[in-house]
Amino acid sequence: MPNINRREFLKLGLSAGSLLALGSPSDLVTKVFGKADTHTKVLILGFDGMDAHLTNIWMNQGKLPAFERLRNRGGFTPLQTSLPPQSPVAWSNFITGLNPGGHGIFDFIHRTPEYYLPTFSSTKTSDSTKTISIGNLVLPLSGGTIENMMQGRAFWQILEDHDIPATIFKMPSNFPPVETKQKTLSGMGTPDITGSLGEFNYYTTEVTELQEDLGGGEIHEVYVIGNRVEAKLPGPENAFKKNQPESSIDFKVFIDPVHPLAKIVIQDQEFILQEKEWSRWRRVRFPMIPTQSVSGICMFYLKQVRPDFKLYISPINIDPAAPAMPISTPASYAKELEKEFGPFYTKGLPADFKAMSNGILDEEEYLAQDDTILEERKAMFEYELSRFDSGLLFYYVSSTDQRQHMFWRFLDPQSPMYDPALVHKHGTAIEDIYREADNMLDMAMSKADKDTIIMVMSDHGFTPFRRTFNINSWLKENGYIRLINNRRQGQEEAFMNTDWSRTKAYSYGLNSLYINLRGREGEGIVNPGAEKEALVREIVQKLEKVADPKTGERVITKAYITQEDYLGSQKEKAPEIIVGYNRGFRTSWSAPLGRITKEVFADNMDKWSGDHCMDPAVCPGILFSSEKIRSDSPALFDLTPTILSLFGIEKPDNMVGKKIF
Amino acid sequence: MWIFNSAFGKIFDALFLPFRDMSPWVGMILVSFLTGLLMLFVFKWTSNQQGIQKVKNRIKAHLLELRLFKDSLSQSLRSQGNILRCNLKYISYSAKPMLVMILPLILIIIQLNFWFGYESLTPNESTILKIKLAEDQNPLEAQIAVQPSSGLVMETLPLRIEESQEINWRFSATQGGMQEFTVTIDGETVTKKVAVAQKPLSKISPQKPDNNFLDQVLYPVEAPIKSQVPIKTIEIQYPSKSMNLFGWEIHWIIAYFVLSIIFGFAFKGVFKVQI
Ligand SMILES: [Zn+2]
Repeated sequence: MPNINRREFLKLGLSAGSLLALGSPSDLVTKVFGKADTHTKVLILGFDGMDAHLTNIWMNQGKLPAFERLRNRGGFTPLQTSLPPQSPVAWSNFITGLNPGGHGIFDFIHRTPEYYLPTFSSTKTSDSTKTISIGNLVLPLSGGTIENMMQGRAFWQILEDHDIPATIFKMPSNFPPVETKQKTLSGMGTPDITGSLGEFNYYTTEVTELQEDLGGGEIHEVYVIGNRVEAKLPGPENAFKKNQPESSIDFKVFIDPVHPLAKIVIQDQEFILQEKEWSRWRRVRFPMIPTQSVSGICMFYLKQVRPDFKLYISPINIDPAAPAMPISTPASYAKELEKEFGPFYTKGLPADFKAMSNGILDEEEYLAQDDTILEERKAMFEYELSRFDSGLLFYYVSSTDQRQHMFWRFLDPQSPMYDPALVHKHGTAIEDIYREADNMLDMAMSKADKDTIIMVMSDHGFTPFRRTFNINSWLKENGYIRLINNRRQGQEEAFMNTDWSRTKAYSYGLNSLYINLRGREGEGIVNPGAEKEALVREIVQKLEKVADPKTGERVITKAYITQEDYLGSQKEKAPEIIVGYNRGFRTSWSAPLGRITKEVFADNMDKWSGDHCMDPAVCPGILFSSEKIRSDSPALFDLTPTILSLFGIEKPDNMVGKKIF
Repeated sequence: MWIFNSAFGKIFDALFLPFRDMSPWVGMILVSFLTGLLMLFVFKWTSNQQGIQKVKNRIKAHLLELRLFKDSLSQSLRSQGNILRCNLKYISYSAKPMLVMILPLILIIIQLNFWFGYESLTPNESTILKIKLAEDQNPLEAQIAVQPSSGLVMETLPLRIEESQEINWRFSATQGGMQEFTVTIDGETVTKKVAVAQKPLSKISPQKPDNNFLDQVLYPVEAPIKSQVPIKTIEIQYPSKSMNLFGWEIHWIIAYFVLSIIFGFAFKGVFKVQI
C-alpha cells in the first residue's frame, strides 16, 4: 500500500448520496447458497505481503513450526507476484486469473487521460442523479452508486456457476463486493464512513507543528475549561443538504482534577478511560435528516490527560450491523458476524499507519491497535473454520503487510529511520506477526481433515525502502516534462504547472509511466505508432541506467513495456511503462500524485520503511501447499485455474495461468 | 410514598414471576392484554356508553346525507358542520375515561420500564457507578468509601466532576447474581443493588432515588436515600434493551401500546363496550 499524502485524494468521493444505495431491513439469517457438498475442500490463507526470504529464514530457525510441517507435507516455493507488485493489482491477478491487461487494475492510482487528473483505480462512485431541493434540503430520489472497476470474473463466481460453495473473507480489491450468492466480506479498498481510506481524529491542547488537516487524519485544537473538553467528531458529508456540509457529533470529556482519568460523553453513551487505555468499539450515529442517519463504529484512546490533554479516535469504520455501503454478500453476512462478535473492523487497511507516521500513535500504541485487529481476525477465523465443511474458504490477514511497512526499519541497519533504542523494544514486531501467522496456520491444520487441501499464499514479498526517487522530477530533468513556470517547480500537485504542449511523458501512481499520446491524452503530442514506440524504448533504456548519486547503486532493475507483458481486453488502457525499482528504492512520496519536486532523490524519512512497489523480481510472495507443487515458478494467476481444477472445473479460455498441481 | 411504591411494585413482581425465564415477549403480551382489558372496563364504566352509541349513529347518518345530497352545496356544508359537531361530542364523551386512565397508565409505564427497558450487566463488561452528592458537598473533599460485594471489581480510581457534584467509578462484574455496593459517607451507609446476568425478564433498577416526590415517582423500585445522607442519587449505567421482533429492534413502549390497543379492540365485542 502506498502512503499518499493528500487527504482530498484519499476521499473516494463517496458521500451520503451514495450511502443511500442500500439500507435494507436486516435479514434474520444469512441464506446459505444451495449446493452440493463437495468431497474435496480447499482452505486458503492469504497473508498480505508475507515475504519468501524472511519466511525461509525464520522457518529454518524453527520459529514457524506449522509452516515447516506444511512444507514437509506438500511444498513451499516463492510465488511470482504481479506487474507491478501492488496489492490491488496482485490480488486482482489472483481473483480473476488474468493479468492486468485482462482485469484492468494497473496501479493504485489511474488517471483521466482527458484532464490528467488522478483517480482511484479500484472504485468509481457517482452521486444520485435525481434529486429534489426543498429550501436547504436536497432529497435524492435514487441512491448513488459505487462500482468495482475490476474486470473479469472472480473465481468464487465461477465456483458458484458449478454449485460449489465458497466463503471469501476480506479479499482485497473486492469492494464493493462483486455480485454473488457466496458469502463474501469486502477487504482492502473498503473506505471508512467518510468515504476516505481512513481519517483519524486527534484532540489535543498541545500546540503542534503538524498541520490541522494532514493526510489520513485531522488534528483538533481543544481547551480544558473547568476540567471539561468540548469537541466535535466529524462524519460523512450530508448529501441531504445543499453544498453537502460535513456532518458531526458533539461530545464532551470530563477530566478528574487529580487522577489520570476521563469520562467521555457522546450521544447516549458514557464511558471512562484511564490514561493510555483504549475503549472498546463505540457506535456513533451521524444525523442527516430526521429520518436518516449514518451509523459508524470507532475506538477511543486516551493518550494523555496532563499536562496536555490528548485523545485519539480511530477512523470511523462502516458499522457492520447497519452498513452504510455494501460490504458483504449477502448483505446479511456482515450483520450475522456482528451478531456473533459485536462490532469489528470493516475498513480495508485497519491499522492506522497514518497516525503512527505522524507521531500521533507511537510504536507501542500502534502495536496495541494491531493486536486488537489480529484478535478479531483470529476469533472470526476460528468461527469460519468451525463451520467449514464444504467447498472453499479463503481467509485474509492484513497485519503482515502493514507491520512490515512500518517496522522494516528495525530489521535494516541501513535504513535512514533505523533507531537502535527502538530496535531493542520493537525489533521483533515483524517476526512476531510471522509467528502469529504460524499460529493461525496451526489452527487450520489441526482442524482440517484429510480431504482438505490447504494453501497459504501472499500477494508479494517485501524489500527495504531507503531512498525515494521522484520519477516526474527525473522526467523533467531529462526534458520529457516541461513546466509553464520553472520557478514554481515543486509547489503543485496533479501537474498543474505542466506545459502539456511540450511534455512527452508523465507518471501517476507508484509504478506507472504514461506517454502524452495524441488522440488519447487531452493535449497529447506524441504520435501513436512508431514515434511512440521509439520514445518508450528510449525512456526504458535511460531509466535502466539511472544510478543513485549517493551510492552509485542502480535504481531501476527493469522498466517493463506493457504492450509486451500484458494480455487481455484492457491492455489498451494500460500505462506504457511499468517501472521496476531495485531493492531499497521506490517512487517518492509526492510523485504518485503528480508533484515535480526539485530533487530527484531523497532519503526516505518516513516510518513507512519497507515496501514492495518495486520490480516483481525482487519481492516474490510465498506459496505453501499440502499438495506437491509441480510447477517450477508458479505465479499468482496460476492459483486461480488450480483452485478451479481442484473442483474439476475447466480453466476458462481467458485465464493466463496454468495449474500447479 | 415508599410503601405505595413497594406494594404497587409487588403486583408486577407477582404478575411476571411465572414468565421470567421465557422470552420478554410473553410478559409483554400478558401485560398488554391486561392493560387492554383495563382500558375497556374503564371505558365502559366511566364513559357515557349510550351517548357514544348515539353520537356514532348520528355521524353515520350525516355521512350518508353527505353522499346522498352531494349535489346540494348548502346541504353538504350543513352535514359537514354536523359531523364536526358530533365528533367534538364524541371526543368529549371519551375524554373522561382518558382522564381516569392517564395517571394509572403513567404509573404502570414507569414500572414496566424497569422490566423491559434495561439489560442486566454481563460479567466482564465494564460500566459506570455514578454517585451524585448533596448540594453542600464537594466531590473532591467528600469522605466517601465504596465497598463492592465479592462479585464486583472497581476498575478505576474515582473520577470527580465538580460542576455536577458527581463521583464516577468504572467497574465490572466478575460473577452473576445480585451484587451490591455499600457506600459510606459521613458515618452513614447506603447500599445499591447491582443486577448481573439475570433472567430474560427481570426488574432492573438503574437508580436509587433522592428523597423527594418526583424522584420517587420516577424511580419507585428502590427505597429512597434517607435525607440525612449527603447523597442525592446512586446510579448504575445498565445497557438499554429493546424488543426484538424478527430482527427488528423496537422500543418496548411501542410494542406495549400497539398490543394493548389490539387487545382492547379485539375484546370490545366480548365485553360489549362502545369505543
Ligand atoms: Zn503493502
